[in-house]
Amino acid sequence: MTEFDLDRLGDVWRQQPDPAELEALRRVADAVRRRARWSQLIDVLAALVVAGVVLVLALSNPRKEALIVGGAAIVALLYSIVRQRRLREAELRGLTGSAEEMLDQSIARVQATLKRAKFGAVMTTPALVLGLALGYLTDRRSPGDPVSWYHGQPGLVAAVLALACGSLAIAMFFVFRSMRNSRQELERLTGLREAYHKEGEQGLRSD
Amino acid sequence: MVADPDTNMAGPNGVENDATPPFDRIVADYGGLISRIAMSYEADPTLREDLTQQIFLAVWQALPSYRADATLKTFIAKVAQNRSISYVARQARQPRVAEIPETLEAEDGTPEQHAIHANEREALLEATRQLAMPQREVIILVLEGFTYTEIGDMLNIAPNALALRLSRAKAALKKILEPGR
Repeated sequence: MTEFDLDRLGDVWRQQPDPAELEALRRVADAVRRRARWSQLIDVLAALVVAGVVLVLALSNPRKEALIVGGAAIVALLYSIVRQRRLREAELRGLTGSAEEMLDQSIARVQATLKRAKFGAVMTTPALVLGLALGYLTDRRSPGDPVSWYHGQPGLVAAVLALACGSLAIAMFFVFRSMRNSRQELERLTGLREAYHKEGEQGLRSD
Repeated sequence: MVADPDTNMAGPNGVENDATPPFDRIVADYGGLISRIAMSYEADPTLREDLTQQIFLAVWQALPSYRADATLKTFIAKVAQNRSISYVARQARQPRVAEIPETLEAEDGTPEQHAIHANEREALLEATRQLAMPQREVIILVLEGFTYTEIGDMLNIAPNALALRLSRAKAALKKILEPGR
């Protein structure tokens, strides 16, 4: 290569994959399409099953409470479908817009995820304290009931406490790991956004 | 009559009418483009297959929003690039970059010309992976043979800004490919 020629490099770049590579690509694409179709089908079927079960339960027991709970379940289902649809639309806008728009959208998404995770982590301690306080205040033990029996077994109490503390520690580990990953992703996204911003500024200065 | 993939679309609703080239056709016509874009963002073959799957899924999901105001090729390239950029941002580690051969002399007419050509392509791929993201995006589109008008539309930037970005990208690519010059 004696001269830096993008046209010639383009010819090198656009070499077609060999038939084996194309066949592998076709298999990958087929698998992706199959999985996506199954996923869509399962979503629709799950929604229909939930709606059907709620309707059957509500109609077979037409009391006011059953209708209220059934109605709430249907509303929750509809909300979930609408939310999923909005998320898909937002993802689609990111895919078909410019890279800058996609990065802005991703930054907003990760910031929202981080905020939710932080709120969840911060609320864990007060929620635990409240739960314990509620348990203490509503403790109405009487001899012979299962709660009294449970408190009379120190080994069992210690095992349940250890299990609860272990579960909490594992949950917190995953929450903090997820927060760390989100922060790192946010840093990378911000870095990429900054790179595009600099390119844009240099373009403006040259005009 | 075979449908023209540049003016028709396929949808993820499973219904493929006369105006819709089947997804298989899209894979056959643009699989090479998708594969090259995936290669220019991820060097590791296993991870690249994962990225390629993500791109195919993204194309499949985005196809219903395709309007024939641009060619299907530009639409697919844009979706593939955006998915690849978001993939890079999500990666916990930086995508692997291999060593670049010192020279890329390919036009020497030796019997191993084909192998050298393949090496040159690999070196070019590795070099594009080293470019900053905005420059990589524009270089890939130029190497794919898109016109400057198409690239400006895809990146949503003015011709002057595109010319500057391309010139910087070309200089950076040259520096990587021909470090001694």
